[in-house]
Amino acid sequence: MTTFRQLLKGRFAVLGVVVLVMLGSLAVRLWGMQVLSGGSFAAAAEDNRIREVSLPAARGRILDVKGRPLVTNRPVMAVTAQATVSEDTTLVAQLASVIGVPVDEITKRLSSYKAERLAPRILKVDVPMQTASFLAEHSADFPGVAVEESAVRVYPGGSLAAHVLGYTGEISETQLAANALPDARIGDVVGKSGVESSYDKVLQGEKGFRRFEVDNQGRVRTVLAEGAPRAGKDIRLTINKDVQAVAEKALSDAIAEAHRQGFTNAHAGSAVVLDVKTGAVIAMASAPTYDPSVFLGGISDADWAMLNKKSSEYPLNNRAIMAAYAPASTFKAIVAMAGLQTRLITPSTTFQCPGFWTGMGKQWGKWCWLHSGHGYVSLHKAIGQSCDGYFYNVGKKFYDAKGEKLQDFARTMGLGAKLGIDLSGEVSGRVPDIAWKKAYNKNYPEYQQWLPGDTVNMSIGQGDLLVTPLQLASAYATLGNGGTVVRPHVLSAVLAPDGSASVETSVTVISDPKLSATNLATLRSALVGVTTTGTGRGSFVGFPISVAGKTGTAQVNGKDDYALFACYAPAAAPKYAIAVIVEQGGHGGSVAAPAARQIMSKLFGVKYKTIHTTDVSR
Amino acid sequence: MRAPITRMVRDRVHGGLVLSAVALVVFGGVMVWAATLTMTGHAAMVQRQILGMAVGLLALVVMWLLDYQVLKAWTGPLMVALSLLIISPRIPGLGASVSGATSWLQIGSIRLFQPSEPAKLLFIVVLAAVIAEYGGKIDLPRDVLKVAGFAALPLVLILLQPDLGTGLVFVAIASGMLLVGGLKARWFAVFALTGTVLVGAIFGLNSLLVSAMNKPEGVLIKAYQMDRLLVFVDPTRDPKGAGYNLAQSKIAIGSGGLTGAGLGMGTQSRLNFIPERHTDFIFSVLGEQLGFAGAVMLLALYLALMASALSISASSRDLFGALVAAGLISMWAFQILENVGMTIGMMPITGIPLPFMSYGSSFMVTNLAGIGMLLSIWSRRYGTTTT
Repeated sequence: MTTFRQLLKGRFAVLGVVVLVMLGSLAVRLWGMQVLSGGSFAAAAEDNRIREVSLPAARGRILDVKGRPLVTNRPVMAVTAQATVSEDTTLVAQLASVIGVPVDEITKRLSSYKAERLAPRILKVDVPMQTASFLAEHSADFPGVAVEESAVRVYPGGSLAAHVLGYTGEISETQLAANALPDARIGDVVGKSGVESSYDKVLQGEKGFRRFEVDNQGRVRTVLAEGAPRAGKDIRLTINKDVQAVAEKALSDAIAEAHRQGFTNAHAGSAVVLDVKTGAVIAMASAPTYDPSVFLGGISDADWAMLNKKSSEYPLNNRAIMAAYAPASTFKAIVAMAGLQTRLITPSTTFQCPGFWTGMGKQWGKWCWLHSGHGYVSLHKAIGQSCDGYFYNVGKKFYDAKGEKLQDFARTMGLGAKLGIDLSGEVSGRVPDIAWKKAYNKNYPEYQQWLPGDTVNMSIGQGDLLVTPLQLASAYATLGNGGTVVRPHVLSAVLAPDGSASVETSVTVISDPKLSATNLATLRSALVGVTTTGTGRGSFVGFPISVAGKTGTAQVNGKDDYALFACYAPAAAPKYAIAVIVEQGGHGGSVAAPAARQIMSKLFGVKYKTIHTTDVSR
Repeated sequence: MRAPITRMVRDRVHGGLVLSAVALVVFGGVMVWAATLTMTGHAAMVQRQILGMAVGLLALVVMWLLDYQVLKAWTGPLMVALSLLIISPRIPGLGASVSGATSWLQIGSIRLFQPSEPAKLLFIVVLAAVIAEYGGKIDLPRDVLKVAGFAALPLVLILLQPDLGTGLVFVAIASGMLLVGGLKARWFAVFALTGTVLVGAIFGLNSLLVSAMNKPEGVLIKAYQMDRLLVFVDPTRDPKGAGYNLAQSKIAIGSGGLTGAGLGMGTQSRLNFIPERHTDFIFSVLGEQLGFAGAVMLLALYLALMASALSISASSRDLFGALVAAGLISMWAFQILENVGMTIGMMPITGIPLPFMSYGSSFMVTNLAGIGMLLSIWSRRYGTTTT
């Protein structure tokens, strides 16, 4: 017995050591997992069991200046589905035929939204009641599919003020990446343009949340916590619904009038109405326009292509702030004021207009639009008759005076830079100068030098000068309000839940060109002359309010002339400034000016009758 | 003069073994209760486990009273019984297969037990009898071949079932017993080499057959077994499929921290994240609910159990008894290493339960019968005495 026991002694020791090593290594590993890195595993366990979905907040309404709704919400039935539905192809096919959404569209919608695993995916918004009740009755046949209450934007005025209001849509990947809305998730509806975009944060409200505990199948076991959403705030705009409607009507009438006069390429244009003192935008029209409701629940590819093809003239663009035009003769008011302010001319300065101006030498001669010439021309007559010859001389004076006084003055009037309106997409326009020309032609050294002709061209609003309709209206507002450039804005106030204004937009002064009262009076008298005896007379015959305005007819390479009119009124105590531009509309005095009169008729409560007149000036 | 009762108890009862076994059985019962708490059929499962314990206690007493040396004489019949037991689930009218992996012996619709469990004990007894004949030294090729033949027959049969888990337990048992039985080191090397070559050949042949017969579910090795192995090598592979079990188990154990979430608590257990949480993955439940403290307590109990078994083995009056004890130690040690190891990613996932802890009455009865055998060896360490 002893012999075999002695034999086995070492072997038992080996067996014992093997057992010890096994248990020991398990214990060491457990120490590492449970004690050293227990925290990260605990976090993983929490991640396993807790799911959070956000509860959408009602989007704020957008009201006009008198509190009338421009955009509201309408409760609708939306069909939603869990992501897992996509695994059942027969179910997806059935669903597709019931709600009328193609199978691949459903699959696409179910496979996106990676951020929120539990959140149901919206398949179709605004389904008819009978579809909703069919799905509710047959809910057993459609597991994971639900009909939920949702809300979509409603536009009581149809396309009214579409460019100012903007449209909404699902947040884009780039918007998400930009992280402008920190708690935004894929699938959220956000403002894409206009006020919907610029005041998105106010309109959005705060999302609520619901935190669940789920099991391994993702089934909800308990609701752990819940936070109710806070509805977005209503906002009140400076836009007056009635004036806006008239401005849009006037613009389309002006385009029709252009066609009547033979300018059949006229399809686009813009009209802006400002309060001269506050910069409040009372109306802002852009043609062609679009119906923002096509974006509800996701715009179709066909509609999107339609809105973006070249022949459509890009109806999504708000031309009032996104397009820049040669201001043509409407700029002569600015040049005149610049001349007076810099004392290069006086109210009594006169020039001879022989029809063909040779101030820079015979080989560089330039025609006045009136080839027979205006004879001796005073400032008053030069504005009233839109005499190019007079302003060629003023331009030459600016060139000879050296420096860039004309450009500097144009800039203090708010041109050549964004005015900072509370709408996205505003462009800065252009006030050309020596540095700009050099940079612009950096590959063409022979064109880099600033020539006298550049200043002369600019002084009749042609050449490389570009302004937006908003800038033009703002410049005339400055002439009308006694010389202050104020920031244009469309927001009147953010409203508290009880409807009172919680945040009101205040007047922001951008610059003060320090216009002398005498010079303003001189110019006003000349601008009133335009509508009483000058190039705009035909459009304002019988209009009871005195209007200080200027016609413009811009030459654009390869296109018909653009028709412009800018004004402020009443001339004696200005309240409103208006700019109207019709692309390829022909003459400002006969196409744009009647539109301005039509808008002012509404503003001042005057009866309006369609005007057909003629204008041959530029 | 009659021996004092204390002396009688000391002779027949190994205190360390009985205490550790009782503690493990109670611990296991509590864990099955805690693991099944939020499962449907919770009460029925707890009842069935308690029934298993009762039957196991009966088996323990029977084995204790039975003179283990009697078994030595029955090598032939026991070998036949072992073989029949292993193939019994394949006999029409007797077998039943649950979820493709666990095989049951059943008559009519009454499920009796999993034959692979008692087969482990029979395997130990048969192999102990064969090895004991060589007196603690196996070196002659003829002897080696005979022993290897006795070990290989049941091993091949169980692998053909196919029951890879029990097969691995057989290999572990044989290794431990051959160590104690005196197989020379170089023969271990030969076996290891042969085994490696065989396994390699099977894997190679499997992949050949899979592509040739176009059977992605596997021919010699089932696809799910392959997945478990590959997941062990690369845990990030297929996190929703085969890697899911491992990941969830590790999260459960790791999140237990030092003291755990508390008995019956723990979100991984409660919310079904741990798969097979009352059977193969019961250690994950323990780790989550009782933390490192509970896990170490369990390992300490296992250490006490196996140290007791080792002391019994060392004090056996004959080599046969020592070998049986060594076989039981090897069986438990391997199952503990494999089961706990797989829940923490140290071992590949196989369907091997955790002794005294996992839900399952056949398993419980087998382990308690093993305890009974150890007590039988201990009681008779001074010679065959009448009781």
